Amino acid sequence: MNRRRVLNLSLLGALLLVALALPYIGATSFVISLTSTILIAGILASSVNFLAGQGGMVSLGHAGIAAASAYGVGWASRQGMDTGVQVLIALGVTLVVSFIYGLLSMRTTGIYFLMVTLAVGMLVYGLAFRLSSVTNGENGISGIARPEWMGTYWTFYYVVLASFVLVTAALWVMGRSPFGASLTGLRDSESRMRSLGYSVPAYKLGAFMISGLVAGFAGLLAVWHTGFVSPSSAGVDRSTHLIVMVILGGIGTLLGPLIGASVVVLVENVLSSYVDRWPTVLGLIFIFVILFARAGIAGSVGKWIARARRRADHRPPGGRGSPVSEAVSDSNHSEEMNRKDLP
Amino acid sequence: MFEPIFLAQQALNGVSFGALLFLLASGLTLVFGLMRIVNMAHGAFYVLGGYVGVVVATLSGNLLLAGIAAVLVVSLTALIVEFGLLRFVRGQELPEVLLTIGVSFVIADLCLAIFGGDPQNLPVTVKIPGALVIGELTYPWYRIFVIGVALVIGVALVLVQSKTRIGAVVRAGVDDREMITAMGVNIKWVFTGMFVVGAGLAAVAGTIGAGMQSILPGVQNEVLLYALVVIIIGGLGSIPGAAVGSLLIGLIDAFAKAWIPELAYFTIFLPMALVLVFRPTGLFGRAA
Repeated sequence: MNRRRVLNLSLLGALLLVALALPYIGATSFVISLTSTILIAGILASSVNFLAGQGGMVSLGHAGIAAASAYGVGWASRQGMDTGVQVLIALGVTLVVSFIYGLLSMRTTGIYFLMVTLAVGMLVYGLAFRLSSVTNGENGISGIARPEWMGTYWTFYYVVLASFVLVTAALWVMGRSPFGASLTGLRDSESRMRSLGYSVPAYKLGAFMISGLVAGFAGLLAVWHTGFVSPSSAGVDRSTHLIVMVILGGIGTLLGPLIGASVVVLVENVLSSYVDRWPTVLGLIFIFVILFARAGIAGSVGKWIARARRRADHRPPGGRGSPVSEAVSDSNHSEEMNRKDLP
Repeated sequence: MFEPIFLAQQALNGVSFGALLFLLASGLTLVFGLMRIVNMAHGAFYVLGGYVGVVVATLSGNLLLAGIAAVLVVSLTALIVEFGLLRFVRGQELPEVLLTIGVSFVIADLCLAIFGGDPQNLPVTVKIPGALVIGELTYPWYRIFVIGVALVIGVALVLVQSKTRIGAVVRAGVDDREMITAMGVNIKWVFTGMFVVGAGLAAVAGTIGAGMQSILPGVQNEVLLYALVVIIIGGLGSIPGAAVGSLLIGLIDAFAKAWIPELAYFTIFLPMALVLVFRPTGLFGRAA
């Protein structure tokens, strides 16, 4: 357990060092910009991962929250408001939208939760598409400038990197707080938590607000990154891509969202220039992961390492509660969740 | 805006769109009722059925033939999906849904590759020509035909469900899977059959719907949303619920698009939100 933690931490440190050094080791502005895209997608996927991994609530509408926040910035910038006001408006829009999402979904579980969030996400898409007086309809809003002090691509990259680290750390702490433990309790048995006196809807609403806030923050960064927001950023495709990222990377794992985001963004932005049928490739990868590697990349690697170490130590396979099974228990979250039957 | 002719026209638009929605949603709700799967590939099945229908109708000039071809192609696809993929995750709620999302990606993208990105419609020659004329009101026969098809299929579904042995097996499967298995019914094949039938209904909706609105990339998500809203309002697994929900959403959508086009999506969402808050199981749904 201890050795594993050291390994994990040194891996994280190395990753962070590489990320910090990236602009200095000859990465082109394209690579930096692509990395920014990955990190922003990683933040958004983390918000989905928090709900799904911690609370067992799989949302299919998070792109809508991010897009609502981005539209807030876009609308404010079209009115000629300055950056501070833009950020405040984005925050306000995010809170309101997340509250609506949470209010409508807090009494549902499993598939119903998924459908409600999907429907609310489509509503945001519909409004973005039709309410052209605010959103400029199908054309979207372009030419949204980010604050001057992060004007160059590499300062913005550092802002995004710092944001990612902060958000990931905050969600990690949140997951291990009493609140996070209560959410895990909800995930595993709602009826048990209810009989213990917890207000289940209130906890779900709270979790959704936290997740929504992170998603809205990602939306803000995204609109600063591209300077552009259009209805497609709220679409179902985007929301499903987020789920793909989370499952691909490993649901309930710390770095899973980033790994998943890297794969999806690279397929979408790099592979797409070589292969026309990249959505098919993405779909097939996704199907493959669900059928054969349910724990995702991060989870599966964790399992392999544990298995390899078990073999090396010539220890008998660990049962429940042994150090080994404890070490991989993180990656088993998704399976536990999947085993849960309908209400 | 409130002239009787206009109101009648919009009401008919609403009912005919509702009829199309019913064809779409009934398959989704039947599959959910029995298998507890929300088939996210349902919209992709609709689009695939629409494309095949348009191609065959253009080649043969026969709508019936187009419908049959669409049902065959989509049913075969659904059979492969059920047999080759879904069976491996049977009973696991989330992986089942996610798998159908992956399938939807693949089908929609392959449709784009095969049929191109241009909007496709049924050729005018295969549609029922002319319009119904009552005084000043004229209304195309084709849309009335769509209402007729939905009525026939709806009544047939209810009759099959309540009067036949197959229907009895399906109802028993909904209520108690283990018991029906113990009585010697292979529930696996009942599931497969139901999934294929649901996809077939989506194909019918796609072919007929291609005469009302264009089939193009992205439509799979839109129709899936409408179908989900309908079955959430009606109650998951209920055919009468799907009928009432479709009619309601069809009418609301038609009038909203005419009166307040800027809020068109919002208006179909509002009744769903109300139903979720006051009756989470839907109008005709049972507590799971």
